[in-house]
Amino acid sequence: MDNAATSAPIGTGPSLFRQIAVRLAILTVVFAVLNIAIVVITYSRQPESLAQELLSLEASRLAASPDTADVHEGPPGSTHWQVRYLNQPMVHDPDHAMTHARAALVDWTQRERTSTGHRISGVRTIVQNGQQRWLFMQFEGEGLRPYVPVIWAEILQHAVLPLVPLSLLMLTFNIFAVRRVLDPLRQAEKEVDGLDPDNMAARLYEPIAPREVHTLVCAVNRALGRLEGAIAILRTFTANAAHELRTPLAIMQLGIDRLPESRDREELSRDNLYMTRLVGQMLDLAQADALMIDEAHTVDLADTARAVVTALAPKAFEQDRELRFEQTGDTVALGHDEAIFRVIRNLIDNALAHTSGGSPIEIVAGPGPQFSVRDYGKGISEADREHIFERFWRGDRRASDGAGLGLGIVKRLVEAHGGKIDVEDPPGGGTLFRIRLQSPS
Amino acid sequence: MRILLVEDNARLAELVRDGLDRLGFAVDWYDSVDGAEHAQQVSHYDLLLVDLGLPDGDGLDLIRAMRRRRNSTPIMVLTARGGLDDRVAGLDAGADDYLVKPFQIPELAARCRALLRRPGSSIDTVLTAGNITLDPSERSVCVAGTVIDATPREVALLEQLLRRSGHVVAKTGLESALYSMDAEVTPNALEATVSRLRKRLLAAEADVQIKTVHGVGYALFAPRLANG
Repeated sequence: MDNAATSAPIGTGPSLFRQIAVRLAILTVVFAVLNIAIVVITYSRQPESLAQELLSLEASRLAASPDTADVHEGPPGSTHWQVRYLNQPMVHDPDHAMTHARAALVDWTQRERTSTGHRISGVRTIVQNGQQRWLFMQFEGEGLRPYVPVIWAEILQHAVLPLVPLSLLMLTFNIFAVRRVLDPLRQAEKEVDGLDPDNMAARLYEPIAPREVHTLVCAVNRALGRLEGAIAILRTFTANAAHELRTPLAIMQLGIDRLPESRDREELSRDNLYMTRLVGQMLDLAQADALMIDEAHTVDLADTARAVVTALAPKAFEQDRELRFEQTGDTVALGHDEAIFRVIRNLIDNALAHTSGGSPIEIVAGPGPQFSVRDYGKGISEADREHIFERFWRGDRRASDGAGLGLGIVKRLVEAHGGKIDVEDPPGGGTLFRIRLQSPS
Repeated sequence: MRILLVEDNARLAELVRDGLDRLGFAVDWYDSVDGAEHAQQVSHYDLLLVDLGLPDGDGLDLIRAMRRRRNSTPIMVLTARGGLDDRVAGLDAGADDYLVKPFQIPELAARCRALLRRPGSSIDTVLTAGNITLDPSERSVCVAGTVIDATPREVALLEQLLRRSGHVVAKTGLESALYSMDAEVTPNALEATVSRLRKRLLAAEADVQIKTVHGVGYALFAPRLANG
């Protein structure tokens, strides 16, 4: 099992193996009961053969322990139990010896009706200590009770003994069959776990057999196709929304700028800029959600960070702030240039918005595929840290003029790169955001 | 300086034309690829401002077609498309700059000027910021109308900063512009030149500021920018 499978919640319902095993067990029990019923019914219809079997059984028990013949009690519920050894016939007369011996060797059973039930008597040949002997047995009984040992013996022989290997065979078969049949399903499960909204073109492998799994996997693939279509519509909508919203915003901005200078114009302009920023951030977020990074995307973090600092430094100077950049070592990373640009820009914007005074903002690229943005503000409390990356979250709604999307965009973009973002307390105060990306392979 | 504006939104086109007009640019407006092609056959333009989504085609196709014809007129894309790969796609098609809507006229005008000043473009006039002026052909610097002394290297530095006034100019770019290939450039040479130029401008009571952007470069700000 790989990571995806172990991290996935395991269902609490019974496994297919167990379900089949339970059904097989029930089947076995039903089969056994039927078998027993047939044995019982068959024998109860043939009392003679029952009697015959019973005497043979008693004889074999006595043969096993000859010394207890006298104290032997006979079949359960029987009365007038008698047992004795018959004397061997004389074989002095060689002419008659064969005849006598043959006559004496015949086993017989007799069943007679009595007033209360029946009387069974008979002779069996047994071998004791290598010596052949004749045993005469007789008892009286009622109903089927005396035959219980025989019936038990028959059940054991005809029902239980064959069922044990059969059950074991079915269990083994179950283990292998289920594992084999479910293999394609397990494969599909692994693939489903690997599905990612970022790569909607992926489909599950469609096994040829079993047909049931094939049908299910095909159905899932059809659903994925519909989902891909829906996501494509959503993404196209984002692109369309960008065009539809940005042009009117541009018209509004330029229209406001033409008004004669007044306080109202200033306020309108500010409101419009806020609106513009909000729309821009929502679109950035939609684009971040749709971002796919492949191995071909490499970025020099230092170059990108320099470009961001170049773009934002005039704005920082306007606010009497200062951006400082430093490169340490090699800074090539797996990443999308424009996306990393937006990550750094949002982090610097965030630092500019949430710290005040003349303190600088420090951007360090490297060593390796990492960079950091650090401010000298009052820091971020432990309680706020788990929220800062949530979309539309703002530490202080009154103090902030943003929509609370900047760090959400950062997080999403970093995630799309398979990177990590950490918030640190650097010595000297303030907040340090550290982003670690992957090295290009 | 004639600018050709290709934009299908009439209201936006009117506002842009009006705004640039006030700043001394002459703007002709067309709302389609065909219109733009036609306009270029009948007159010469110093700069094109091109929207991407046009009724009869994509602005990028217009740009590619022009570049195939070896038409090197500077082109700026004005678009609502701000996707992660859109800017690169625009520049790859042959555009010189890419501005995402919405924008403000001063920013648009500044970018237009930057494009028009590029080597090969038609203007190379006196550079001005605050109370200082620099004449690139005379290699002379005036503060409040008075010519001041400056070494050729300081004049070159000031020229570079003035050309990108209000923007950060990369240290590497300045170094290659100021020091010839064979000259030994000590790590502090540029810093020393900037420092001397600052002192000279301060002594002459210039109202511009040269700011250091640590690790990146330098930027010259005129006083108007400093207060917003």
